[in-house]
Amino acid sequence: MTTITKVSISEKIKEYVKNTASIPPGMEVKNDTLIFDEGLFDSMGFMALISFIDEEFGVQPGDDELVVENFESIDAIVKYLSEKLSA
Amino acid sequence: MTEKKKFSKDIIKLESVEQTVNRIVNKLKSDVYEHLQRKGGIVGISGGIDSSVSFALAVRAFGKENVLGVMLPEKDSSSDSEILAKKLADKFGVKTVVENISGALEGFGCYRRRDEAMKRVFPEYNPETYKSKIEIRQNILKQNMPAIFSLTIIDENGTSKSKMLPMKEYLQIVAASNFKQRSRMSMLYYHAEAMHYAVIGTPNKHEVEQGFFVKYGDGGADVMPIGDLYKTQVYELASYLGVPQEIIDRTPTTDTYTAEQTQEEFFYQLPFEMMDLLWYAWENGYEPAEVAPALDITEKEVENVFKTFLRKKKTTEYLRMSPIRNY
Repeated sequence: MTTITKVSISEKIKEYVKNTASIPPGMEVKNDTLIFDEGLFDSMGFMALISFIDEEFGVQPGDDELVVENFESIDAIVKYLSEKLSA
Repeated sequence: MTEKKKFSKDIIKLESVEQTVNRIVNKLKSDVYEHLQRKGGIVGISGGIDSSVSFALAVRAFGKENVLGVMLPEKDSSSDSEILAKKLADKFGVKTVVENISGALEGFGCYRRRDEAMKRVFPEYNPETYKSKIEIRQNILKQNMPAIFSLTIIDENGTSKSKMLPMKEYLQIVAASNFKQRSRMSMLYYHAEAMHYAVIGTPNKHEVEQGFFVKYGDGGADVMPIGDLYKTQVYELASYLGVPQEIIDRTPTTDTYTAEQTQEEFFYQLPFEMMDLLWYAWENGYEPAEVAPALDITEKEVENVFKTFLRKKKTTEYLRMSPIRNY
């Protein structure tokens, strides 16, 4: 996977999180912000994120991949997707 | 100021079951007779522990002549439900009616809409030969992550397949299945209005506060006598009130999907005994460091569960809200 592609994954995920998460006024979501700890996604929000990842990148996480380490931040999601897409 | 009790496994054990029963019964009488101006109670009975205890409390409050037990089976219901509900009513000498709501559900397209969504996930799914259920497969003790729902289908040979549900299909399956609880509510209000009775709701404290009920479905009632009781307390009342032992021994299920599905699999993700204690700890501000050793789990696990509780309470607030009318 090229650096450019990784950057574009990061931009798409960042854009998605910014547009759909419940972000409290004044809060800045950084790449390492813990999105579940901060309450940015509930169950519906998380399911929508999974659907977005499928539609946008063709990645459907298996049961064993649905772990907090793969989805806890924008950085974590980008890392997970980069690995999946380069496999 | 009263000092907070030291956290222990017995912290929510009722000090006196008799006093708790008397308090609820007296309040039921006053709420139904004086506040609601109704002369008895209608209870939908499913053979489950919550509806059985609510029913037994109603009988104590209004007398057996002023309670009607309504059984509301549909084609996906377990046959045990009706048998146990009848056993309960017979034990308390209360009149029952059976209202099969399958026809109403066919009319609403409940089964068709649900099965359409299931077939989009598993094209081979045939509702005539397969059983199905929705599950949460994550462990909330181990990680702080919102629930993701999976659909499991089981063929005639018992072979099962599971797949994570896309949001659109999940929402359609739940929306279609919720016709069941809403049709039951309509039928309960038919009998309540025809007899000038109140509808006695059956959700317990967890169902109300964690949002495990259908708005205007099983959440539609005039009073909820066990709405402030933890599940283990409901069991304490059940034994005292004389609920049949088969009902007490039965694993709580949703009785909503065709495959056997426990409430733990579908929603709570924890055994009741542990969930009760963790919920009590969370809502009373106990620190994970005090709770963890009493339950033989780690502080991190307690923190994960507390975060899940906070998320559930927040995201299900909509279910507990009345229509907003201050415009």
